[in-house]
Amino acid sequence: MEARLTVINRKETLQYLGYLGSGIPAEVEEDISRCEQLILTTARPHAVWRYFELLPDGSFSGTAFRPQGKDVPALLKDCSGAILMAATLGSEAELLLRRSQIRNMGDAVILDAAASAAIENVCDNLCEDLADQFEPKYLTDRFSPGYGDFPFSQQRDFFEILDITRRIGVSLSESGLMLPQKSVTALIGVADRPQPHRHRGCASCTLFETCRFRKEGAHCGAN
Amino acid sequence: MEPTELIILDGGMGTQLQAAGLPMGQAPELWNLTEPEKVSAVHRRYVEAGSKVLYTNTFGVNRLKTARIGHSVRELVEGGVRCARAAAGTKEVRVALDIGPLGQILEPLGTLKFEEAYDIFREIVEAGRDAGADLIVIETMSDLYEVKAAVLAARENSALPVWVTMTFEASGRTFVGTTVSAMGLTLSGLGVDAMGFNCSLGPKELLPMIRELRRWTDKPLILKPNAGLPDPATGEYRITPEEFAAELAPAPEDGVRMLGGCCGTTPDFIRALSAAMQGERIPSPPPARRSGVCSASQTAAFGPVRVIGERINPTGKKRFQQALRENDIDYIVARGIEQQDAGADLLDVNVGLPGIDEPEMMTRVVKALQAVVDLPLQIDSSDPAAIEAGLRAVNGKAIVNSVNGKPEVLRSILPICKKYGAAVVGLCMDENGIPQTWQERIAIAKRILDAALAAGIPKEDVLIDCLTLTVSAQQEQAAETLKALRAVRKELGLHTVLGVSNISFGLPARENITVSFLTQALYAGLDLPILNPNQTAVMDAVASFRVLSGEDRDSEAYIRRFAAADSAPKTTTPVPGKDMNLADCILRGLKAETAAITRQELESRSEMDVINELLIPALDRVGELYEKQEIFLPQLINAANAACGGFDVIKERIAKSGAGSVSKGKIVLATVFGDIHDIGKNIVRVVLENYGYTVIDLGRDVPAETVVETVIREDVKLVGLSALMTTTVKSMADTIAAIRKSGHDCKIMVGGAVLTPDYAAEIGADYYARDAKQSADIARRVLG
Repeated sequence: MEARLTVINRKETLQYLGYLGSGIPAEVEEDISRCEQLILTTARPHAVWRYFELLPDGSFSGTAFRPQGKDVPALLKDCSGAILMAATLGSEAELLLRRSQIRNMGDAVILDAAASAAIENVCDNLCEDLADQFEPKYLTDRFSPGYGDFPFSQQRDFFEILDITRRIGVSLSESGLMLPQKSVTALIGVADRPQPHRHRGCASCTLFETCRFRKEGAHCGAN
Repeated sequence: MEPTELIILDGGMGTQLQAAGLPMGQAPELWNLTEPEKVSAVHRRYVEAGSKVLYTNTFGVNRLKTARIGHSVRELVEGGVRCARAAAGTKEVRVALDIGPLGQILEPLGTLKFEEAYDIFREIVEAGRDAGADLIVIETMSDLYEVKAAVLAARENSALPVWVTMTFEASGRTFVGTTVSAMGLTLSGLGVDAMGFNCSLGPKELLPMIRELRRWTDKPLILKPNAGLPDPATGEYRITPEEFAAELAPAPEDGVRMLGGCCGTTPDFIRALSAAMQGERIPSPPPARRSGVCSASQTAAFGPVRVIGERINPTGKKRFQQALRENDIDYIVARGIEQQDAGADLLDVNVGLPGIDEPEMMTRVVKALQAVVDLPLQIDSSDPAAIEAGLRAVNGKAIVNSVNGKPEVLRSILPICKKYGAAVVGLCMDENGIPQTWQERIAIAKRILDAALAAGIPKEDVLIDCLTLTVSAQQEQAAETLKALRAVRKELGLHTVLGVSNISFGLPARENITVSFLTQALYAGLDLPILNPNQTAVMDAVASFRVLSGEDRDSEAYIRRFAAADSAPKTTTPVPGKDMNLADCILRGLKAETAAITRQELESRSEMDVINELLIPALDRVGELYEKQEIFLPQLINAANAACGGFDVIKERIAKSGAGSVSKGKIVLATVFGDIHDIGKNIVRVVLENYGYTVIDLGRDVPAETVVETVIREDVKLVGLSALMTTTVKSMADTIAAIRKSGHDCKIMVGGAVLTPDYAAEIGADYYARDAKQSADIARRVLG
């Protein structure tokens, strides 16, 4: 299955831009549309993934990898297997972001926000494709190193096991940062019964423009 | 060995070691020391299968990675060569020192410096050379710049043959956008002994790319494909050894001389390949190759008209000279962007100015341009050291401008062009000056060509400049130049370069003369005009010529150019509406209008008054609206950009009058060591600059020492540090400690996603800036 970038969620772009419903002038709206289009045409997304059986001690079959912390084991409690995945928008988009920061900072902030929304779309699409492929089993939400108590340092294991640098051209720096920056690593559990899904974020909510929780920097927890 | 004989290489190593018990995720190179007999056993199976070249098990050995393995580069390389040598025995099997990518991305996309990459490769090359490797293979590369560092390290520190294979995607580009033509041109120029592809794809996908590569190089070609494409769920490869060998059957016909396998291939694959290739020969001679120059992602083949932009040059330009003296690289880079947007195909780069360290400046400008512009470059200098500095920093293949018929010039500059594989411009003049007749100029061109050939530079890389003289001073010379052009093309068969603008110097309505001369010169055979692409009439003439010469098929580019011009609103000099004031223009992000009003205001006010009474209050109002959340980030930035239009007008005026600066003080900004997310810092920079502060932007991944050195050297009173990740806030704390320890008296403000006011205080910062607006408030408090 190919990595796919299909659409950029405008609300997500706006959320990354810190938009709180103050009204958007027509020319800024145009800028956003143009930048989203630019990301859609420039990005060459790539993804790599692999399925592993889960051993009783919580490690992944054939590897020495065992997620630390309590959050991942909780996520995987119903699971017999799990997928490790990595996705990126690719270096063309990264170059576009870097160059825009020299050419035009106004475009740069919008492009950066649109690219963040775009990599989410690539991950969403991949997860949908995986859900189809693994039917009749069920997938959990995806969970990335650095979230909850899943240590950021375990990112390196993803790189070694999936051979991410060679397969999709993403590198990991000594301090644990990925390049291209718009890249994601995550694990996904594979279970025999339906899995609960967490808060999907304000950008998927119809009250996005007007929500008073969001204006105060919180969220209602419903979605 | 016959030049047409095929050479069978080896196959995959990592998977073979895993089959022998190497746990997944563990560094295979460690086994060179701990399990040498197992490594040798894999090599031996390849020798038995027919491999004539063994790649050492050193793919991941480099200083950046070996720290985690716990052994030195030298130990691991020596072990690797020893394992391969033991298997090669006394047979005619060669041992190749295998060098893989460093695993960190080079500048400009990443932060690893070209010079540091070179030094890391040098260490590996020296270890391999001392351990007795027979040749060096640089493989699985995606970044042409990284390859260049590795090839230079190999060439400058050993006498061993150098082979290079890069990894391409089905799109015909590597992960970082290197094209096949750029690889062919650049590596031919750098003098590698063979080149080709490995990994990533199977034989079927790679063979069409081999055909493309063959058009750009006459070096022997290498192909080491994967065993098809892997199954994503299991990571296993599906094609059989026989299928692999069958798919590679056409390779010799396409000029591939070295054949082997990469991921998923085993000794069985090599055995099948070896059997299938028994008695195969590659046809000779290879087809004539194409010539040209390139950046890593854009190739300008010689032949069609290629416009060389002339604007990166301080001669006669006060503002440009000031930029060079003040290290204002952004201004110089902006001239490159402008010319690319105006349709230049290459950029001439000249940074020579008395009092400037030209080699150092050349390196900086070349790197800064490459970070933003894709065009191939022409290094323009008469200083051999500056030329070499420029050529070393170039990612791709460049032109050197220039040599002339003087023997000492040819002697000092041609070897540099040869070493870096650059094309070279030869001016038709010598120690006796510029000859008055076209015949004499041709004689000099001929001498330059002979000297270049003798230096090992291929004929197609020699470009002749017949020289333009000012027609108002020496009227008969225009015709001589045109005759010389015709003769260089016809009699010498060389491509030509010509600076065109000079023709009209001293005459009114210069453009008429320039355009007319350009058209005649193009007709006479000029294909690389050096001109100012920002002059619309000149570029219109080029567009027209491309139609008439048949180069612009179906007039497509021409129609696009003028269809766009007809429909676009005329934006020559914006005339602001009567009711619009500077503040409105800035709030609405209208840059051109802001500049126009600033120009008007400067008729009745001083520069400082315009800044303090108009620009700054307008920005303040924008900042206030932003704080009240009545506008959001893109509007804040657009307003800052618009204000920038006003500041540019003021800076231009001050440069012309030679008066002092209008800066409100210097601020150092840096994204701390280990952190590469610098968009936040860049937003702050734009806003601070537009409040009139001089920002010294140290970039990202900046070591604490660099910050300390700079604040002391520049006597800076305010430093802004940015860090995005929890992992890098530590180096923010270290940087603050280092500044305090130096005893330099300055205030420090910090910002970044994970910081809080409390945490900022805890690590010793003076101020926490939540956003760009607050950083401007802090700057005003500290610097006024």
